[in-house]
Amino acid sequence: MYGWIWRHLPGNAWVRSIIALALILAVVYALFQYVFPWAEPLLPFGDVTVDGASAGGAGAGQ
Amino acid sequence: MAARTEHDERTDTSASPPPARRRVRHPVATAVSVFGELLITAGLVLALFVVYSLWWTNVLADREADRQGDTVRSKWADGPGALDTKDGIGFLHAPAMKNGEVLVKKGTDPKNLNNGIAGYYTDPVESALPWDDEGNFTLAAHRDGHGAKFHNIHKLKNGDPVVFETKDTWYVYKVYKTLPETSKFNVDVIQPVPEESGVKKPGRYITLTTCTPVYTSKYRYIVWGELERTEKVDKDRTKPVELLG
Repeated sequence: MYGWIWRHLPGNAWVRSIIALALILAVVYALFQYVFPWAEPLLPFGDVTVDGASAGGAGAGQ
Repeated sequence: MAARTEHDERTDTSASPPPARRRVRHPVATAVSVFGELLITAGLVLALFVVYSLWWTNVLADREADRQGDTVRSKWADGPGALDTKDGIGFLHAPAMKNGEVLVKKGTDPKNLNNGIAGYYTDPVESALPWDDEGNFTLAAHRDGHGAKFHNIHKLKNGDPVVFETKDTWYVYKVYKTLPETSKFNVDVIQPVPEESGVKKPGRYITLTTCTPVYTSKYRYIVWGELERTEKVDKDRTKPVELLG
């Protein structure tokens, strides 16, 4: 998979490295900006309230 | 590279031309390779999620909390006066938690708490407010990530002061009971008279709730305090003795 991407990047090794780095940064940015904020409420790590009604709800204490 | 080529020649008996030879791989080998790379990717993504949860959300939340706190402070800058609760009702100071001051706003909605502030309950049991004659001032904030304002809640011991600052009054509470672990469904802890803490009579209580153990949300950690005294805010916002030193 990564080998395939590498082979399909244009340019010599230096250019490919720079493009690869840019791709990695873009992916990390997308994760931090969009994917993780979306995923976080779905995971039970951030509930801090007591709430009798919601059964394990992520939206505790709305 | 040379070893690889020899290996390919041994396994690949067909007389394919040299340029194509590199691409001829058994489909299973390709599948295993891609699967392995996906696993590595998943591991990296999970590691990044930990970085995001425990570091990046704190960066964002602290920035936002500072901004919102500054808004309130600048509105209070004209000295003590009529209660002003529009942008937050005040600041919580708990020296034992070593977390500075925590802005308190209405509601425990995650969107709110994710800004690095504490919220007072509106549901399932409506919180009293510090200036009410009696009741329980019930607060929630994050233990980890998103500012982690109650991260050090376990450092609060009986007798420790918890001070709530509004525009015109310092409310000095003393911790009298902690509950290191309870069910997240235990709404009794935030009742107006929190009998679980051993009190029977209506009074002016404060209850801090957050999740425990650290880094998870399996249980809730509760700290109860009772109002000891109040102090008017003076012109210089001199801190009460509990917050000095």
